[in-house]
Amino acid sequence: MEAFFGNLALGFGVALTLKNIFLCFVGCMVGTLIGVLPGVGPIATIAMLLPITFGFDPTGALIMLAGIYYGAQYGGSTTAILVNIPGEATSVVTVLDGHQMAKQGRAGVALGMAAIGSFFAGTVATLFIAALGQPLTKLAQLFGPAEYFSLMIMGLVFAVVLARGSILKAICMILLGLLLATVGTDLETGQERMTLGIQDLSDGIDFAVLAMGIFGFAEIVRNLENPETRDVVRAAIGKLWPGKDDFRQSYFPILRGTFIGAILGILPGNGAVLGPFASYTVEKKIAKDPKRFGRGAIEGVAGPESANNAGAQTAFIPLLTLGIPPNAVMALMVGAMTIHGIIPGPQVMTKNPELFWGMVASMWIGNLMLVIINLPLIGLWVKLLQVPYRMMFPAIMIFCCIGIYSINNSTSDVLFTAFFGLVGYTLLKFGFEPAPMLLGFVLGKLMEEKLRQALILSRGSFTTFIERPVSAGLLFVAIVMLALALLPSIRKGRDEVFTE
Amino acid sequence: MSDQVSPSEDQSTGLIKSTQELGAGLFLMAVAAFAYWQGFDLPRGSLRAMGPGMLPMALTFMVGAGGLLMVIYSFFEAGPRLERWSLRGPFFIFGGIIVFALLIRSCGLMVAGPASMIFAMLASDEFEWKEATIFSIAMTIICILLFKTLLRLPIPVIGTLLEPIFPF
Repeated sequence: MEAFFGNLALGFGVALTLKNIFLCFVGCMVGTLIGVLPGVGPIATIAMLLPITFGFDPTGALIMLAGIYYGAQYGGSTTAILVNIPGEATSVVTVLDGHQMAKQGRAGVALGMAAIGSFFAGTVATLFIAALGQPLTKLAQLFGPAEYFSLMIMGLVFAVVLARGSILKAICMILLGLLLATVGTDLETGQERMTLGIQDLSDGIDFAVLAMGIFGFAEIVRNLENPETRDVVRAAIGKLWPGKDDFRQSYFPILRGTFIGAILGILPGNGAVLGPFASYTVEKKIAKDPKRFGRGAIEGVAGPESANNAGAQTAFIPLLTLGIPPNAVMALMVGAMTIHGIIPGPQVMTKNPELFWGMVASMWIGNLMLVIINLPLIGLWVKLLQVPYRMMFPAIMIFCCIGIYSINNSTSDVLFTAFFGLVGYTLLKFGFEPAPMLLGFVLGKLMEEKLRQALILSRGSFTTFIERPVSAGLLFVAIVMLALALLPSIRKGRDEVFTE
Repeated sequence: MSDQVSPSEDQSTGLIKSTQELGAGLFLMAVAAFAYWQGFDLPRGSLRAMGPGMLPMALTFMVGAGGLLMVIYSFFEAGPRLERWSLRGPFFIFGGIIVFALLIRSCGLMVAGPASMIFAMLASDEFEWKEATIFSIAMTIICILLFKTLLRLPIPVIGTLLEPIFPF
């Protein structure tokens, strides 16, 4: 307990310098600014804004990045409530009741409650990370290559189960991601693999390039193809601070949402995405009058938004303690950390305690900042959302181009991004969901490394994955999950959750 | 992704029950074939000491097998039709990015910015020269102020080709 407070105090000591508060503020601000644009999710936002953090020291850069991350998340929710467009998978649920509230002239209350719920969830999740960080790091040090490999397999299985649509397609996407990750120089022999003789590919495909192509550019093309149905709220925004009744109705949904989101967020394989869905389902199930849902029930905003933010934050846990990014956004964080010379994993906490705890503390400050910045600036976001898409997309494109170019000062990166944009567009046309592919790509290199190490240790025998109890347990969970997802009855339920 | 489009109705007549599934399967098989062609000569090693080619080839076969399964399914299980592909959007958007990549070093952001944005804006049905020109120049100025002046990113504004003309 003493260590817990000591660590938090250390963290706040780092995060509360004037410079770091300023960086956090700027991060939140630009993160929201870009994240609010319809069709630009957190992944594209972070990839785009990554270069602006390059000029700072690692701690400052990561604090700014955390700010960008929360800003991007909250920007997505703002778009979901004000326009009928979810910025990303996790705000799909917010659209249902949030936009209805906005149509009834209660957009302000919805946004206010989303911010308050998010802030509460963020506070709890920060404490959660601080409490769980150390024990999990100790646990991670007991992990051998076989356990790491099995854990990542479990993460990928989760991603398959959580993906929308056909399970076969999701599995194929993961495999494709893993295959893409093998491009580049082989770790052990130094031999170039599948680089097509292109010099720039010898280091492998850059994650930001792949993510930006598939999530940024492909989405622009997709949006242009479909006639614009942006439904920016015309009604007044109304007051921001929720009334007494709103609070009374929201206390428990926020508590439950926070709990659900925080737990699901820790799961490898993007469990965070499930949080808002689970929270919404729970609230609807236990509501006295479920008919209100979908017609502007405040619980349908408060619960899922809290779950969303709690999950977004606890998703840092697998990354910071095990070095395994649980989703694509966290993979970008890995990229950003590596650029600053930090390799995420259990050693960060022991070797750079200031950085680790500073970042944890800045998460809380970031959440507070969001409430302070966003609520007064809602008018500005509304204005921004009214800009027609024909002007929005060239702006998004040029930001993406400048962002990608600046990461490595490389024109070939920009060209690769265009190529992957085309690939992403093709995948969308064939009904593939690109998120699992990105996760496969993210984990690919680490998985191959661990697989090879495990097999060297076991002299080429695959039984090592079953003989070691922790590894066997993780694989067992993975198999059970996959089997459950394939059962027809559960499969139907899963489809319902995602279509609701 | 886009929920606005009504999902295309399932096909149930004809030999192929889902052209989207068929296309998806063929696409994966093509990717696998390409990866095989690129990687088949990499040394695979043994399980005890895996070579660089082992995992890529294993994955290639799995991707190919998945594709084959999808092709087979497409004859039996009803699924969505393949959507219409547009050429205009991809051509101008990806073209615009390529324009940016080709011009940024030589001519700098002040040329690459407007050129790539105007090119990309041609993707929209509501394209208008005057609006596009003014907008793209204004955006470029904002970008230069933001990324170069404020954030000091090493992005070339003038470019190697134009430097002699603008000696500042």
